[in-house]
Amino acid sequence: MTTKVPVTILTGFLGAGKTTLLNRILGESHGRRIAVIENEYGAIGIDHELVINADEEVFEMSNGCICCTVRGDLIRVLGNLMKRRDKFDYVLVETTGLADPGPVAQTFFMDEEIREAFALDGIVTLVDARHLGQQLGRSQECGEQIAFADVIVLNKTDLVTPAELDALETRLRDMNRMARFFRSARAELPVGAVLDLGAFDLDQALARRPTFLEPEYPFEWTGLYALPAGAHVLELDEGPDPAMGLVVLTGVSPDDASLREGAERCVRLYADTALLVAAGGAIPLGAHADLRLHTPGTKRFSLVLKEACTVALYAEHFAEEFNLRVKVADQPVEPLAQRAWVAQHEHDDEVGSVAIEVEGSLDQGRLNAWLGTLLREWGTDIFRMKGFLSLDGEERRFVFQGVHMLFDGQPDRPWGSDPRRNQLVFIGRNLDEAAIREGFSACLV
Amino acid sequence: MPGVKAGGALRPGWRARVPDYPRAMAWTPSGDLLLVLDAVGGLHAFDGATGAVRWHRPDAHPGGGLAMSHHPRSPRLATGGHDGAVVTWDTQRGEPEKRWELGRAWVEHMSWSPDGGWLAAAAGRAVHAWSAEGQEWVAPVHPSTVSGLLWAGPHELATACYGRVAFWKPLGDTPTQALEWKGAPVSLAVSPDGAVVAAGGQDQTVHFWRRASGADSAMSGYATKPAALAFDASGTLLATSGSEVVTVWTFAGEGPEGTTPGRLAVHTLPVTALAFARRERVLASGGREGGVVLWRLDAAGDGAPVGGDVVQGAVAELAWRHDDRALAATDAEGGVTTWRVSR
Repeated sequence: MTTKVPVTILTGFLGAGKTTLLNRILGESHGRRIAVIENEYGAIGIDHELVINADEEVFEMSNGCICCTVRGDLIRVLGNLMKRRDKFDYVLVETTGLADPGPVAQTFFMDEEIREAFALDGIVTLVDARHLGQQLGRSQECGEQIAFADVIVLNKTDLVTPAELDALETRLRDMNRMARFFRSARAELPVGAVLDLGAFDLDQALARRPTFLEPEYPFEWTGLYALPAGAHVLELDEGPDPAMGLVVLTGVSPDDASLREGAERCVRLYADTALLVAAGGAIPLGAHADLRLHTPGTKRFSLVLKEACTVALYAEHFAEEFNLRVKVADQPVEPLAQRAWVAQHEHDDEVGSVAIEVEGSLDQGRLNAWLGTLLREWGTDIFRMKGFLSLDGEERRFVFQGVHMLFDGQPDRPWGSDPRRNQLVFIGRNLDEAAIREGFSACLV
Repeated sequence: MPGVKAGGALRPGWRARVPDYPRAMAWTPSGDLLLVLDAVGGLHAFDGATGAVRWHRPDAHPGGGLAMSHHPRSPRLATGGHDGAVVTWDTQRGEPEKRWELGRAWVEHMSWSPDGGWLAAAAGRAVHAWSAEGQEWVAPVHPSTVSGLLWAGPHELATACYGRVAFWKPLGDTPTQALEWKGAPVSLAVSPDGAVVAAGGQDQTVHFWRRASGADSAMSGYATKPAALAFDASGTLLATSGSEVVTVWTFAGEGPEGTTPGRLAVHTLPVTALAFARRERVLASGGREGGVVLWRLDAAGDGAPVGGDVVQGAVAELAWRHDDRALAATDAEGGVTTWRVSR
């Protein structure tokens, strides 16, 4: 039995930087034979021996089933390539900005010959950070490319402000909670961000990312400040709420990994009962505080540090909502770093995610019936789904993933003494979140 | 393959190898050469009687070979490949004669007309044909990539692409007949009298049309794509792949609608190649497991194996020598195997 050749799909609008990224990957993947199927005649050529140009051809079948819709050009080109004994060991498929990723992904599940020789590894969507906002409004394909992605690269970050970038990432995370995000100015990404993701491999997907659901944090914003020892002041003007949750951590550094680690600690701290702090009071370190802001005018709180250190404010609101500032000796201090988090938002985009995390086990009969109905009625609008389930009476975790109506699942590792729980995400268009949550909950035993 | 005696009507001939997947093969009309084009672009001419290499062009099509067709009478071969070129070769000398560059698309299909008057080739959505008198015909651009091309008669070309099978007179600017349906053809066959056209589909069906009336039918229930189709010389039997069983439909009488097809079951994996002998109702089939089986069929399309053998890899293609007295098989491991066929 030969191993399957992995395939990465690279999507994104013209001008997002796909050719630059392709050239970078090909230049850095020494010792691999990568075949590139290019569907766009970009201005910058790709300097590579195994580049095949093909017109995107979507084949719909007479039965009208959307999940039978495949890409004829890929079947033809890959069907030819797979016969060669002179093998290549990776395939990169570049699609145009107008491509619907559904048929591309489905080709690797629906066509028997392609399925036997190739394994879809992941879908990488490259976006032009400056223009994506407009493109999302104008084109349905753009939203679909976000929705299908395993990795979303915010490219051309040098053309937007950090705040615009944060807002864009927040919006895209709302649309697709499953994806990993990267930022780059000129597609300078590590090869590992694009290749060998194992995103469709049930054995790997969860092993690599045990919590693939981007958590909805109970806070929206983090500001990191370097402060000397002493008693400092946190000032807030009037804002949209009479109170604001806050956790202040020390020892966080300005890199994203450290900020995220702090965020994870804060999730647990936010679950603790909040300490009410009235204006004029002292903010505790490393504990859940609830700042009382109901009185008119500017409110001041004290922040006392025994020694110089960094402090990270994990706040329930963005700083600008209350014009929050940190003052040392009555002078405002600029943050070393700021970051936005995915919070519970109103969804403005048609494309969105429904993430479910519930403890307990599921009745298999009810689950099958519910999922069958859901996919039959909503399969066109459900682009991707992924997760693991606890089935009642089963010793092992059940992992699954799907594209439209195609569903692939298998038992995974035993639960052992771990608490039984379910974690899954649906990404789609105009999903009825309440109905999905209710339907899923009704399957719990 | 249970139930098949090794050998039988298939007597071992010579064996040879090519360095990569054999993409296309053809016997010369006299049988003096067997020509094989491989997936890395090498063109190989083997002595038809001994298998000795008569000549070899390693870079006939840089990037890879895809298609070939031998002239019906003259010692002339046409080949196409990844390089977007169509090349004709003097098969006796192994030298290129003419060359046409069709662009960036792969040249995946080509066919010489039965009288040798025209050579047609398809690259992407483009179809070109060249006459013996030096005319070139460029057909109107097809709506999608051409996935099948063959001659339905001396002066009638059939092409298949997503959603359509069309018939053309060379130099014409509109199809003489266009049969449309929502399907993606992966194979194409026309009965020798041109009356019936069949297309195997991506959706695992075989769709066929009676051209006089335009009436069509679809046969479903195939387990895989029916990528191999073959009409017998009488045009009444259509052998189809699409599972490990060869399904044979008969167009005699009212059929094949409502009839039970012949089912030829010996292969253990899906059938990959089918070829009828030119004169007799004898079918050769090849499977993914490497089995090559010879079947003698009755008028209803049923039959029994009369010979068999096994080659190294999945059978790529089968080709009868024009006198029906020898059969050649290529396989996925690069093997080229021939047999003498006894009656």
